[in-house]
Amino acid sequence: MSLMPLLAVLIGAIIAVYARVQVDPKVAPYMALACLAGLDTLLGGIRSAAEGQFKKDVFVTGFISNVLFASFLAWLGDQIYINLLFAVALVLGARIFNNLSLIRRHLLTRYQDYVARKRELAAQQTQAVSTTGTGSEVQS
Amino acid sequence: MNPFARRMQAADGWVWPTTLVSLVLGFMISSVWVTAQNRRERIASLDSTQRSRVSLNSIDLEEFEKLKEEVQKLREDKTKLENAVADKSSSTKILNDQLQESKNFGGLVEVEGPGVVVTLRDSSKAGPQGSMATIVDPESVIHDLDVLKVVNELNASGAEAVSVNNLRVVSTTSIRCVGPTILVDGTRISTPVVIRAIGDRETLYSGMNMPGGALAAVRGTDPAMVTVEKVDSITLPAYTGSTARKLAKTIEKKQ
Repeated sequence: MSLMPLLAVLIGAIIAVYARVQVDPKVAPYMALACLAGLDTLLGGIRSAAEGQFKKDVFVTGFISNVLFASFLAWLGDQIYINLLFAVALVLGARIFNNLSLIRRHLLTRYQDYVARKRELAAQQTQAVSTTGTGSEVQS
Repeated sequence: MNPFARRMQAADGWVWPTTLVSLVLGFMISSVWVTAQNRRERIASLDSTQRSRVSLNSIDLEEFEKLKEEVQKLREDKTKLENAVADKSSSTKILNDQLQESKNFGGLVEVEGPGVVVTLRDSSKAGPQGSMATIVDPESVIHDLDVLKVVNELNASGAEAVSVNNLRVVSTTSIRCVGPTILVDGTRISTPVVIRAIGDRETLYSGMNMPGGALAAVRGTDPAMVTVEKVDSITLPAYTGSTARKLAKTIEKKQ
């Protein structure tokens, strides 16, 4: 179930390949930047889901507006001759890594919790005194 | 039990929105993916300098093509009118003959005659290889300088009229590059570059095959990049660019 977004990325890619979608080379750089913005929003959504704060309206509107605004900003930069494409790419790249590290920490904590609980359960079943450290404290 | 599924599933309904968005994202990424097919078109935006993006977006090629066709039509009409006027008397006929002669010299009319056809194409070795499909070896593609050298060599070998990809080369013609595309008089051309020249076939042919000549370096990279053939008759189009001059005025000598 949790791997569905990953599958969906692949399915979307395959659809685009079979539909032979051709992006005009003029708009392709902006579209590529939009992809980066989309990736950032997606990871942000997964992060907030891991934190238990996921709201789907916030997520979907965030995706649409981020994608549009990232490409708009890059286009605007080209109109006024300031290379905002790199500025946007830099910020989005930093955010992607930030989101990724937060997701990783959540998953790691969860896994450690799980291992600790299993160990506790096994200890109770063998009727032993459970005095060993559970290690279930959240490690930031 | 999957350790990761526990709390993530409890947070209500995150899976479907992210799946939907992932679908769109996958579609977007895939559609801008650089493949062997769109590599040539995309390469202008791949080097991602702002200059190339801006220039790519500011040229309205369709409008340009339309105007060029109109110029060609109007010039043909002009020639017809000049001939019509010349029918009236012998003095205008002589004037018109001279006029047509200089139009021919200036490249403003279609011309026909024997000559050579030089075809320059990118080396097939430049094609996508493995995962590095976006990287092109600069040695194995045709550059503006190669085209310029060939045109120069043809003129040196006595060519009377030269065209590059059906664009007539005249005295003001510029051949240069913007990023990876070659511009001839501001018109983008792509490989294979076909250079046609009217003149003495043997002289032109030997000029193209001169050892250490214009094409020696290109042939050294890959002999398949160049083909030179002699032809009995070729037709070169008329020049369709602007002939307007603002500053160069004819000096009128006092008698």
